[in-house]
Amino acid sequence: MELIDNLALGFATALTLQNLFYCFIGVLIGTLIGVLPGIGPVATLAMLLPVTYALPPTSALIMLAGIYYGAQYGGSTTAILVNLPGESSSVVTCIDGYQMARRGRAGAALAVSAIGSFFAGSVATLIVAALALPMVELAFKFGPAEYFSLMVLGLIGAVVLASGSLIKAIAMIVLGLLLGLVGTDVNSGVARFSFDIPELADGIGFVSVAMGVFGFAEIIANLEHRQKREAFTSNVGKLMMSKEEFKYAWPAALRGTALGSVLGVLPGGGALLASFASYTLEKKITRNPEIPFGKGNIRGVAAPESANNAGAQTSFIPMLTLGIPPNAVMALMVGAMTIHNIQPGPQVMSSNPALFWGLIASMWIGNLMLVVLNLPLIGIWVQLLKVPYRLLYPAILVFCAIGVYTINNNPFDVTVTAAFGLLGYVFFKLRCEPAPLILGFILGPMMEENLRRAMLLSRGDPTVFFTRPLSLGLLVAAAALIVIVALPNIKKKREVAFQEAP
Amino acid sequence: MKIRDQKNFWSGVMFIAFGVFFVGYARQYDMGTAARMGPSYFPTVLGGLMVLLGIIVLIQGLATEQADGKIEPFNFKALVLVLGAVVAFGLLLRPAGLLVALFVLIAVSSFGSHEFKVRDMLLLSIGMSLLVLGVFIYGLSMTIPVLPSFMRQ
Repeated sequence: MELIDNLALGFATALTLQNLFYCFIGVLIGTLIGVLPGIGPVATLAMLLPVTYALPPTSALIMLAGIYYGAQYGGSTTAILVNLPGESSSVVTCIDGYQMARRGRAGAALAVSAIGSFFAGSVATLIVAALALPMVELAFKFGPAEYFSLMVLGLIGAVVLASGSLIKAIAMIVLGLLLGLVGTDVNSGVARFSFDIPELADGIGFVSVAMGVFGFAEIIANLEHRQKREAFTSNVGKLMMSKEEFKYAWPAALRGTALGSVLGVLPGGGALLASFASYTLEKKITRNPEIPFGKGNIRGVAAPESANNAGAQTSFIPMLTLGIPPNAVMALMVGAMTIHNIQPGPQVMSSNPALFWGLIASMWIGNLMLVVLNLPLIGIWVQLLKVPYRLLYPAILVFCAIGVYTINNNPFDVTVTAAFGLLGYVFFKLRCEPAPLILGFILGPMMEENLRRAMLLSRGDPTVFFTRPLSLGLLVAAAALIVIVALPNIKKKREVAFQEAP
Repeated sequence: MKIRDQKNFWSGVMFIAFGVFFVGYARQYDMGTAARMGPSYFPTVLGGLMVLLGIIVLIQGLATEQADGKIEPFNFKALVLVLGAVVAFGLLLRPAGLLVALFVLIAVSSFGSHEFKVRDMLLLSIGMSLLVLGVFIYGLSMTIPVLPSFMRQ
């Protein structure tokens, strides 16, 4: 069995003392920062990316993946205890999770979220491992035209499944693509849009964009309103579910896992979409709930928590096999790989098998660590929630500033990051979602390269994108997505789906 | 003409401005042909698309009312203090060293909060200095100048 051989290699890699250590550190720091409200996984990853530069690539990616699901999980703890989503994918967890906490069932809510996440993570890890090989084989059939069309589909998918205005999201993608083109053009050697600044000839630093737009802008936005936090610290209760709660929770966790795994693979999918969709599903299929949804039904915690973890995990599939990130977090992972001189794409599996399978195996180990780590450490996370924001944000700024500086040991990068902080704040004020911008930014150079190659091969004939069947199929899918979303009926439903949560 | 949705209107203006900038700036580069695209080709196409999308968003801003369409006032105090502190950190790091730069970053950015307290700020500066020294300088042995340049060898 090739799969078992591969997984054995993966576990051999992930279980070295060094990698276990970095996985642990990643999960721990990720949870620590994820618990803090107002800092999502994207900002967390951007902040901590520079810390991993010094590590060997495999350890670095294992640690980053650990940070990601740590942050994901930490977010739900905050959602349940304080009714503030630590990050957007735990918005729905707030609804029933916090109500459970108010009824004195915080312990049960935390337990179901931890166990559900672990279960979903384990299943999703297997799915990633099983799908990786066929996906890579498919990817090798892709020429430049197919890659270009796939990226179009990926970007369109990302905006269609996101919330907010479609046109603005597409505009943000295009802006991201353009910003990604800043720097030396590989074909002609011209330093484009660099204003003759030597640093800009290397392009805009990817960390600067992510940290500025997500990290700094979020901090400034958070400072706008006085922080009011009502921490539910008095009584977490026993970390056990009652028999009855367990009976209701496990089918919901199963459904959440299934739905999340599927949605994670889709372009634009991932944790956020998965949690919203599974909550809606639970509400639909549960007739006569013993406790109404929104009042502390355990299904409303079990399903979205399992789903967001499953989705978080399976969204690694397109990133690892095709080199195409389906969401902003994966875009960061692609950025991290590039920094370590690994070109993401189907060749990673054959050129770096230890890294590829080690990362997959570490996902499962990381999930196990999360359960072991989180349930006993809840008390510490609760304490952390009491740290006032006025102490928190300067500390975050310190890590960001040092992190950006150390990328190239150049103060210029710090200034660029501040500039993107300003831009991010303007986006926030104008209700422009920044996530598509990051996706576009990562894909910009790749898209141009594949467009050029495809057009060169076809001698300037643009119909190549429509005459090659695979490429045509991908483009038709992209067009269909836009048409479907633009239909008035669906449009309304889409708006409702994203307004489920308060 | 009345602006019904300020957020969309000004988003449109922003997108158009970006698009015009990229198209205009790309004119100095070689356009090439469809088969052999020059450095100007892709940015020009994207910039044009950007302008087009900007116009649509702008028209939406003029045409359709939105409940939360009004742009809330910018918090210039937080904006300037937070970003200013970061830029100051970048400028100070080499000449003045990490410890000074860190203190300035924390002190200036702390003023951005509604609940600023001098004592907290000082304690935080000391705590963060120790933490950063421990993690980045000794732990990860990063090459960041710690002391001001006149005190260095």
